Amino acid sequence: MLKTLKTGVAATLLMTGAAYADGHGGPYAEYAGTTLVVNFPAHPHYNAAMKVLPEFTKETGIEVEVDQLPYLKMRERQTLELAQDEGEYDLISYVVFSKADYVFADQLENLAKYFMNPKLADPNYDAEDLIDGYVQNIGVAGGAKGYLPGPTGSLFGIPFGSETSVLAYRKDIFEKHGIAEPETYDQLLDAACKIPELEPGMGGMASRAASGHQASHAFLLHLAPLGGRVFDDAWNPIINNDAGVQAANALKTIVDCGPEGAMSFGPSEAANAFSNGDAAMFLDSIAFMPGFENPDRSQVVGKVGYAMHPKGVRRGSQTGGFGIAIPKNAENKEAAFLLMQWLTSKQGDLMVAMEGGNPSRFSTYQDAGLNEKYPFAATFGEALKYADPDWRPIIPVWGKINADIGTTMSKVLTEDLDIQEALDGVAERTRAVMEEAGYYTWQ
Amino acid sequence: MSIARVNRLSPYMFMAPAMVIMAIALLYPLGYMIWGSFRDWNPSQSIGEAEFVGLKNYITLWNDPNFRESIGVTLRFAFFVVSIEMVLGVGLALLLDRDIRGMSVLRTMFILPMMIAPVVVGLMWRYMYHPTIGTFNRFLESIGLPKVDWLGDYALTSIIIADIWQWTPFIFILSLAALQSLPRSALEAARIDGATPWQQIWHIKLPLMMPVLIVTGLLRLIDAFKVLEVILVMTNGGPGLSTEILALRISRTATEFRELGVAAAMSNYLLILLLLLTVAMFAFTRIQEARAARVRAAAEEAS
Repeated sequence: MLKTLKTGVAATLLMTGAAYADGHGGPYAEYAGTTLVVNFPAHPHYNAAMKVLPEFTKETGIEVEVDQLPYLKMRERQTLELAQDEGEYDLISYVVFSKADYVFADQLENLAKYFMNPKLADPNYDAEDLIDGYVQNIGVAGGAKGYLPGPTGSLFGIPFGSETSVLAYRKDIFEKHGIAEPETYDQLLDAACKIPELEPGMGGMASRAASGHQASHAFLLHLAPLGGRVFDDAWNPIINNDAGVQAANALKTIVDCGPEGAMSFGPSEAANAFSNGDAAMFLDSIAFMPGFENPDRSQVVGKVGYAMHPKGVRRGSQTGGFGIAIPKNAENKEAAFLLMQWLTSKQGDLMVAMEGGNPSRFSTYQDAGLNEKYPFAATFGEALKYADPDWRPIIPVWGKINADIGTTMSKVLTEDLDIQEALDGVAERTRAVMEEAGYYTWQ
Repeated sequence: MSIARVNRLSPYMFMAPAMVIMAIALLYPLGYMIWGSFRDWNPSQSIGEAEFVGLKNYITLWNDPNFRESIGVTLRFAFFVVSIEMVLGVGLALLLDRDIRGMSVLRTMFILPMMIAPVVVGLMWRYMYHPTIGTFNRFLESIGLPKVDWLGDYALTSIIIADIWQWTPFIFILSLAALQSLPRSALEAARIDGATPWQQIWHIKLPLMMPVLIVTGLLRLIDAFKVLEVILVMTNGGPGLSTEILALRISRTATEFRELGVAAAMSNYLLILLLLLTVAMFAFTRIQEARAARVRAAAEEAS
């Protein structure tokens, strides 16, 4: 789907004309009339972003063509585009786990040279205000473990449309039965199984569980707060330790006490189950939450309370979503940087957020107007402080390991495979994958 | 150049354009895939940059339990789908091979499922199988039976049912065409000799239809090995690996695991498997025909 967003040519000409007339054209004058081709996912945040793009064109004279794709299809397309000598895209949005692949294949621009360029970098950009966990998780590569920040890391992208996890729960149901807002995992699991008994026909918590990526995501969501990790610092798989078993048990309990058919839920099915009133809780990305307050689609408007991702032995909500970056083979890199900077500036971030996007800046979450429009904004801002950038590894072989975890978890959920045995199997196969990829070369 | 030589060459000259097109469109991609299957090839690399690893991809796959499970699922799926569809399709054709009013409308309606885009078929069945709002479970509930977790506990059965719904008409249409082109004289002779309808079907119609049925079955078999979209939409291979047929695993290996070499090797295994099946099937018909010819010759000699 190729949508061209164009303001009147006349207006553009007028603006550039005016800029040249007073001697210096401002930062954008040189690029006015350029057309940028960008690749965005079909995602609520980017739908919101597309609504503010005409504003960018009006202000700068740079036109933007958007190629929108389903988010799981983006990587395939981008892999093909980025490998060419001259790519079609000037700016791409990438899913966080693509970072490793693109950076490793040397396909993304290092952003340092743009932030060093006084003609391009906006002095009022205020990078300190960007949410730190997101920048680390999505933007930086080359530091600790290769995919995290650290003294050797550098910036390749800027978070845009980033997400963390929060708990949505039915205030009315919880109040009716005197159940407290779940603060810890014990309370969460307790409530999840109590509700189907108290409210016949209603599941405890709606969760993703479908075989593959979804089941793996759901498992990892519980693994970090319960104190687990996929690897230790030397890349040894530790997914089968006590924390791993606990996380798998938590997922199994949740699905067993969940709404009917929960075993084949993807995220949207789970969100639908919650908004139809078939489940009393929903623990997932903030991207789904605005939908619960939309009277056209949700039957639970006004009945939903929002809480932080419950705590196990530590707080650790997910970090995920998208970032934007400039491909090495882009045609209009500098203009692309200007668009990137504009979209993630304080003003741009707020504009996108007001249209229903997910903010990437602390200041946006504190904005009074936003809090008035979306009452949950404050909780999200708070949750972000505990967002865990290392909740899943972002390494080139992750796709394969992720699929294995997902398939195995699905077997645990549907075929009653023994959890310890299942995780031991994952650890063993993961070790073989890592061995082959060369992670044990220095041991 | 002598005229005889030109005459000898001319057929090849006429064939040349077709050969060139075939080489470009058919053999080049196939060769590319075979060449790729010997390499450790990541989608961010061009094929030239990829490291040559010999038969490693094939050996890894041979020892990969997930790949074996996937082959098992594919074989089971193909077997049930093709045999049930053949029985239903041929049965329907035998039933409907008569002059019924509105037959052409009926026939058009029968082949509708085939015309629907596979993704839509997948979505439709997924919603019909939905545990709470799906048609099937609502029906079961209304007549007081317990609900069934179609895409959970019975995922493979459920996708087999969907495929049968979609592709039985294909077999039906082809067998109907075969039936209607049968020599009327043989049937008439059988009727005059007092053959019952069952005997007519068993001894006349089916044997005469056999060549068409074999090709039809083969086409369905090849298709069943490659079906992707419907299963992708309905279960995405889950739960576990219970519905992950080979085509789906190949697609996941290429896009999710980013191992193009392994995916190419897997495609080649699939190709070899299909080739063996096809050859076996044709060999079987050859043997059958040869035996029939021998019997006929023996009968002629005796008379």
